[in-house]
Amino acid sequence: MIANAHPVAPEELMALLDGELGSEEARAVSAHLEECAECRRLAEQFRAVSREMNGWTVEDAPAARGESVMEEAVRSAGSGKPDGATRFVLWGMPRWATGGGALVVIVCVLAVSGALIFHGGPLAKQPPMVTFVNPQSQPSTGSFSADGQDTANTSSRRAAAELKALPSPAAVAGIVNQETRLAANQALEAAPPPAPVPDGSRRAPAYAGAEGKISMNGGGGGQTIGPAATGPMIARTVTLAIVVKDFPAARAALDAILVRHGGYSAQLTANTEENVQRSLQDSLRIPAPELATAMAELKALGRVENESQSGEEVTQQHADLVARLQNSRETEQRMRDILAQRTGKIEDVLQVEEEIARVRGEIEGMEAEQQALEHRVDFASVDLHISEELKEQFRSPSASVGTQVRNAFVTGMRNAAETLLGLMLFIEEAGPEILVWLVLLGTPGYLLWRRYRGVRSRV
Amino acid sequence: MEDALRAFVLHSDAANAGPKPDDRAVAGEDSDEQLMLAYARGEVAAFSALFGRYRQPVFGFFRRRVADAAQAEELAQETFLAVVRAAGRYQASALFRTWLYAIAFRILRAHRRKAAFRATFLGAPDEAAEPVTAAGQDTAAMMRQAVGRLDAMDREVLLLREFEQLSYAEIGELLDLPLNTVRSRLFRARMALHELLAARAGASTSANKEAL
Repeated sequence: MIANAHPVAPEELMALLDGELGSEEARAVSAHLEECAECRRLAEQFRAVSREMNGWTVEDAPAARGESVMEEAVRSAGSGKPDGATRFVLWGMPRWATGGGALVVIVCVLAVSGALIFHGGPLAKQPPMVTFVNPQSQPSTGSFSADGQDTANTSSRRAAAELKALPSPAAVAGIVNQETRLAANQALEAAPPPAPVPDGSRRAPAYAGAEGKISMNGGGGGQTIGPAATGPMIARTVTLAIVVKDFPAARAALDAILVRHGGYSAQLTANTEENVQRSLQDSLRIPAPELATAMAELKALGRVENESQSGEEVTQQHADLVARLQNSRETEQRMRDILAQRTGKIEDVLQVEEEIARVRGEIEGMEAEQQALEHRVDFASVDLHISEELKEQFRSPSASVGTQVRNAFVTGMRNAAETLLGLMLFIEEAGPEILVWLVLLGTPGYLLWRRYRGVRSRV
Repeated sequence: MEDALRAFVLHSDAANAGPKPDDRAVAGEDSDEQLMLAYARGEVAAFSALFGRYRQPVFGFFRRRVADAAQAEELAQETFLAVVRAAGRYQASALFRTWLYAIAFRILRAHRRKAAFRATFLGAPDEAAEPVTAAGQDTAAMMRQAVGRLDAMDREVLLLREFEQLSYAEIGELLDLPLNTVRSRLFRARMALHELLAARAGASTSANKEAL
């Protein structure tokens, strides 16, 4: 219609007719319009369209319905903020009221559920049904036989001791767990009555309930070994962590302390690697009477970071051991007497010798155990950890820059490859399923969307 | 020269076109903006005057875009209620007319969204048949059909220019379009409408000839 070489674009002509051109442009375009017949025809076309459109009149607005608007206008007028009162309205309530109400409801729900959780429901409020067995009311008497059939007795003792260790039956109700109780009951019942001892003289120590007192009926006279008799035997264990400034000096001082107090080092691990915080882990044995002074000297080495002390009372364990040892020795002696005084068949002699050898072995085992126990009491165990105050030093990196760059690159490439591979595996694994779901859900969705678009362009 | 220029300028002097500010200034009346500010201060009479001025144009705005007359009236009413509620936020820096049509346009868009949603999920909308009684209604039906065949955005630009007489800049702001796009879309819409009307005229003359 209009050649490209035309000096005035048709859109400019339209803008002129719409009064949208600046005065300069308007003058130029209208000057052109006067000369150009083609443009005049186009202008006439625009005007014709406008005329036709203006023929599209609409009926008058229904008069009756304007009243509600005016009513609202009167109601809102002069309220300063005609907007605020009605803008945030939800179901006839201001939004703050709705929000506040919702908040109150949420808080109530939380409070109620919290109360239920922390104080237990109606069921949880009932006290648990616990039947408690008082170990002292059912004393068990067991006997040790030398042939190792004392398992029931031992377990009964252990269970009874567990119950003894608990504060009081009333306080314990509900804490004691069912299994422990059952085990205690069974153990107490299962404990055999005093077994008849073949020769009447071989009697094992009898435990009266869980009283912790050991009465020993061995040989002829009764003898009681209790804590009061020998004083408590305590195996002490100390853990100490110290940070020192001068590591070699501290190590030398440690050696001196050990020599001075007659202690020794049971196990020592020192780490004196270069450029690293030096440290030392030493398991010391120090004579119990010297412990306090030795500890004071050790603490003077540097700054104490961590310290813990504990003492295990082994009096009962020791007394038990001593009693069993004596029993076994007496047994051995009697057997020797039998061997020396009586005569019999060679078979009987051999059997008695065999028995003597077995009892001898037991005695030696128990002696060793006794020694170890006494050693633990005589020498306190000190776990000492000495470390140097960290002094960070400038040092060249372990690998060269080139190596690090190369390593990083290789790692990066490997990670990328692994990611790609993982993605491929995922697509292979989940792809078909995703595709099925896409088709199942996407098709109706797409159709609905198309319909929606179509309707929107028409409305 | 000036007179010649004025003669060329397109004019929409249809009965329902918006009142022109210039005319009122000459007549010594308050401007729309003054009235709106007066209403924000609490003068109900000011709003009454504004309502009188814009009631028909706003109804026309919706009537040309929504097939159902009752629906159009409802939307127009909704627009004025929104104006009442938003009066506190009105700033004199904006032309009242632009502000009003911006509100109307938002309400129209919301209506279209709802209508499209309803039509998609609850069935096709009831296309109210245009009563073809008077000559004016006949033209209306014809125009509605022709305009309906334009691209949606082009149609909106054309209607806002021809009936609401918004400037290119105002249309651009309302539809979120650059000024040049408004111009090119308006040009395209006018050319397309011209073609459509010409084709219709050609068809009706040939039909008349056949009838004769």
